[in-house]
Amino acid sequence: MKDTAAFEARFLAEHQRSVRMRRWRGIALNILGVLLFLAVWEIIPRLGFANPVLFPPPSKVLEAALPMLGSGEIPWNILVSLGRAGSGFLIAAVLGVAIGVATARAPVIRDLVEPLLHGFRSVPVIALVPVSVLWFGIGEGAKVALVATGAFFPIWINSFIGVRDVHEIYLRSAACLGANRWQTLRYVVLPASLPFIIAGLRQGIAIALIVLVAAELAGARAGVAYMMSMGHQLFRVDIMFAGLVILGFLGFAGDRLFVALCRKLFPWYRPSA
Amino acid sequence: MPLISIEHVSHLYVGTGGTPSWALRDVSLGLERGRFTCLVGPSGCGKTTLLQLIAGFLKPTAGSVQLDGKPISGPGPDRSVVFQEYALFAWFTVRQNVEFGLRVAGMKAAERRKRSDDLLAMIGMSHAADRYPHELSGGMRQRVAVARALAIHPQVVLMDEPFAAVDALTRATLQEELLRLWQQLGLSIVFITHNVDEAVFLADDVVVMSAHPGSIQEIMTIDMPHPRDRGSPEFARWYARINAALHQDPKRKEAA
Repeated sequence: MKDTAAFEARFLAEHQRSVRMRRWRGIALNILGVLLFLAVWEIIPRLGFANPVLFPPPSKVLEAALPMLGSGEIPWNILVSLGRAGSGFLIAAVLGVAIGVATARAPVIRDLVEPLLHGFRSVPVIALVPVSVLWFGIGEGAKVALVATGAFFPIWINSFIGVRDVHEIYLRSAACLGANRWQTLRYVVLPASLPFIIAGLRQGIAIALIVLVAAELAGARAGVAYMMSMGHQLFRVDIMFAGLVILGFLGFAGDRLFVALCRKLFPWYRPSA
Repeated sequence: MPLISIEHVSHLYVGTGGTPSWALRDVSLGLERGRFTCLVGPSGCGKTTLLQLIAGFLKPTAGSVQLDGKPISGPGPDRSVVFQEYALFAWFTVRQNVEFGLRVAGMKAAERRKRSDDLLAMIGMSHAADRYPHELSGGMRQRVAVARALAIHPQVVLMDEPFAAVDALTRATLQEELLRLWQQLGLSIVFITHNVDEAVFLADDVVVMSAHPGSIQEIMTIDMPHPRDRGSPEFARWYARINAALHQDPKRKEAA
């Protein structure tokens, strides 16, 4: 019996070690991938494959970005952009989920809006930017509204599909256990459609960033894309690249944060990576 | 008065090709309180339709379905259903699933907890109270589904091939456990199966149904005491009788 205990302890230690190993190896490979990308990027202009002024290597981009980081210019622009994207996304999330659920739950409304919805989903939101500038000008409100509009559609559509396709057996279970309409919505329909809602929200984050850039490029006095358009006018490709890196990082960080939040809030649901 | 009375019930649906099909044709049946009734029959015999009419998921095209003398107008907690599978709420733990009906009925948390503790102990799942359905085996999931249906103290438990998706060994265990619960709690159960062995092992009354149109062919009352021995000659006789009824040629039946 003592033998068994020792054997199990050894097995467990070995198992935990291999799990830890795998995790660290994963992280190391993630970092290695980024480093490899940076290395290739650094080498290409240096080998003469590209004009270093038009295609600055990361070292030059960093060189340009450091003073702007120190002066607070970059952090301020990030903050402004995040404020716009965040508030627009939040509005879109609340409206998109609410309207998605409402339109999918009532059969009359569902049939009424379904063709419209499939029409809207195929219109790229960026096509709305010029119209929005005409309607709302280039003020803060207009940009937030535009981001909200862009992020709203994927959230609405996914919530709609998720709620429409909740498995009949869940609804019947709830009904025969005595749940009323409101309880069914809260305890069954919403959680059951959560995978779709989450997919919509994730798509919404990505689209919010795209629309944000389009809106800022159309005219702004601050923001990451504004910074890039200034770089464009000054022929400072390094500043434009710095903007690209920041946007890439914001998108990545936003998505990671979202996935982490989902893990925490919905332990029974596993969003894929 | 029977607990559930089904009187001259027909149920039509539009089949492929747009022609009306009879899922059930002029079916009458009375189900008594405290009895274990099995509905057996080939696919298309309307056994699931009949169960769904009692559950209130469907309305009869003609005729009436009554519970305790009152017509059934929709699903409700006096008739809980155990489905074949995938009916546990994936976002709730075992305990939350079992307590669901009590929660929506507004029962206080402490009281709920006591009842779910009792039920989980009864089905031997106390250790898994905080697990999610995806962490359970098929047999464990169906135990929880049964507990969830029993928690609200329904007048009748409707079971739609609840053990069809689990392996044979687990199924035998689940059948024994269900019989124990039925005796211990004095339940009334309507149980669909296409498995003759299951019907002979479980049922007081076996309703043999036939297809095209869905109708009742024969009702048999098995008066063997529980626990029933699958190896006994009596068991074999009942098995043969039900099997014969199921495989009876409808044309010959008409001639007879």
